[in-house]
Amino acid sequence: MFFYHVRIALKSLRRNPVLSSLLIGGIAVGIGISTAFVTLRHMYVQDPIPGGSDRVFYVRLDSWGGQQSYMSDDPESLPDQVTYADARALLESPIPRRQTPTFVGAAFLHPATAATRPWQAEIRLTFNDLFDIFRMPFAYGGPWTEDADARAERVAVIDHDTNQKLFGGENSVGRTIRLEDAEFRVVGVLAPWRPPLRYFEMNRGATGKPEEVYLPFNLVEPMQIATRGNANNWKPIQPYSFEAMLASERVWLQYWVELAAPGDVDAYGDWIASYVEGQRSLGRFEQTTRYRLSTVPQLIEEFGLMPAGVRAMSIVALLFLLVCSLNLIGILLGKFLARASEVSVRRALGASRAQVFWQHLIECELIGLIGGGAGLLLSLGVLAVIRRHMRNGEALRLDSEMLLFAAVLSLVAGLIAGLYPAWRACRIAPAMQLKVQ
Amino acid sequence: MLEMKNIRKIYRTDSIETHALEDLTLSVGTGEFVSVTGPSGSGKTTFLNVAGLLDTFDSGTYHLDGKDVSRLSDREMSKIRNTTIGFIFQSFNLIPDLHVFDNVDVPLRYRGLPAKERRERIERALEQVGLSARRRHLPSQLSGGQQQRVAIARVLAGDPKLIFADEPTGNLDSTMTREIMDLLEGINQAGTTIVMVTHSPECADRAQRRLHVFDGRVVDIERPRVTLTRPAESRIASNLA
Repeated sequence: MFFYHVRIALKSLRRNPVLSSLLIGGIAVGIGISTAFVTLRHMYVQDPIPGGSDRVFYVRLDSWGGQQSYMSDDPESLPDQVTYADARALLESPIPRRQTPTFVGAAFLHPATAATRPWQAEIRLTFNDLFDIFRMPFAYGGPWTEDADARAERVAVIDHDTNQKLFGGENSVGRTIRLEDAEFRVVGVLAPWRPPLRYFEMNRGATGKPEEVYLPFNLVEPMQIATRGNANNWKPIQPYSFEAMLASERVWLQYWVELAAPGDVDAYGDWIASYVEGQRSLGRFEQTTRYRLSTVPQLIEEFGLMPAGVRAMSIVALLFLLVCSLNLIGILLGKFLARASEVSVRRALGASRAQVFWQHLIECELIGLIGGGAGLLLSLGVLAVIRRHMRNGEALRLDSEMLLFAAVLSLVAGLIAGLYPAWRACRIAPAMQLKVQ
Repeated sequence: MLEMKNIRKIYRTDSIETHALEDLTLSVGTGEFVSVTGPSGSGKTTFLNVAGLLDTFDSGTYHLDGKDVSRLSDREMSKIRNTTIGFIFQSFNLIPDLHVFDNVDVPLRYRGLPAKERRERIERALEQVGLSARRRHLPSQLSGGQQQRVAIARVLAGDPKLIFADEPTGNLDSTMTREIMDLLEGINQAGTTIVMVTHSPECADRAQRRLHVFDGRVVDIERPRVTLTRPAESRIASNLA
């Protein structure tokens, strides 16, 4: 019976193409606008680490001294990064399943041929756990090994674009790249990957692209690689040397952990508290024992990374769709009541009220779905316009979740527009129409 | 087959009450062919609507095929209309954008029959009314007589026990009228009960029993007449059998 109703609905739509186009167009405009703006919001609120967002934490410790808070206007504030000494100490914890300190540097990358000029590439130093923590997809190869981490081997993972520039997109695993005057063996090439925010280091240009090259963290000492990102210290480093900087109270490293289960957070917290207490007894950590473990969504909220108005715009867009649907009620009502004689014939031939109701509701849902399909095409255009005005526009795309959302929204719009007209159609008294048809 | 006692039907507006049926009492036996005549406004069509479960009544009792219909839900009444009753209307009431085949298919769809059985029933019914070759035609491509034959095929395909015909020849010329009446007589001879509302004395005469309705009451019942079997009737009767 369902397919019979669909067939009848299609015939009904073909019967009056102008009216049908009007109905479909109304839904399409509503779906197009609302899907585009809800997609924009979705970009910021979607699960950043599918399956791991509740287990991946950013670690902050209150290592700030001088009897002052990190942010002078916020006594609760903690340094947004950790010191090198603390990072090394945190690495000793056996609780996290994965963990890594990380920071961004820069170095000139020299192509193998003279055809492309060297350019200053952003490089991220990290332990190999970073790739798994953030579910980074590989096109070729994979992360370097733990041995490579331990021995500070000169290995690298490069991103998709860098592989395109240097190797024309071929599988470059095993080949070498030259950073400044040192050569590194490529062990992995990332697949195209553009998260909406650069999760590793959200307090520095979060909307930027992830870095181009990834190197083992332990190269920091032998190669004396300094951060290119933010660094703060409450105590001057005098006299300055790289080694002195590493031993100083400068906070310049991001520290990420992935726990085996969300419940491990208490045990890990206890471990950190115990570390902090130990440091206090040694004269560091002048403040009370404070630390913070934040998930990525919490950081997005804390740093205010969702542009103001995105949430409001998505709500307004949904209200616009509601108005579109409500406007269609009148048109559908007129269309259905004009078919009163057909409804009466069907009732006389044995259709129950429920069957007449479903027949008309299915027609409305069909209008909703066709309108939704057209609306999706429209939303691609709207997204293209929005994308042009965003630094991280590349990450703004209709994913499967949004496609499903648009489909459900289309059905809801069809339901809102069609519920009352379908109900009225099924209440048509057949006896009044059959004689006068 | 059909037994009505003291049926009353009143149409009400804010200021006016119209008594369309007033203590209407009648009974139609299985296999009968009954015609209902009466002047315009006498309540013929209201009677047919109430009898065909297309409209409700205010008081009285109505048993159809042994069931008290006053207590049935919409779903149950729809099922009876679908399986027990067939309707033939003056204005044919075909669905304009469905082909002949699909028009005949409508009641079978609501019965939930499998596709193969529906196809067989439709083909047989179209053959009986001589419209097999027009199965892919739209109603607008057919003459009035042909459209009425499609409506009859729609009834035949459902194989109802009871047919209500509301002025089935009202929009047809005399030749077509004869054809349609021949078909109805043939169907009746195959065992189907027919109740036909008509203005035409000639058509009414072809029924076995003739009821006259006036002011919502049955005022006269004529005795059954002797029906002569004609060649056309024999053919349809044998087809239906």
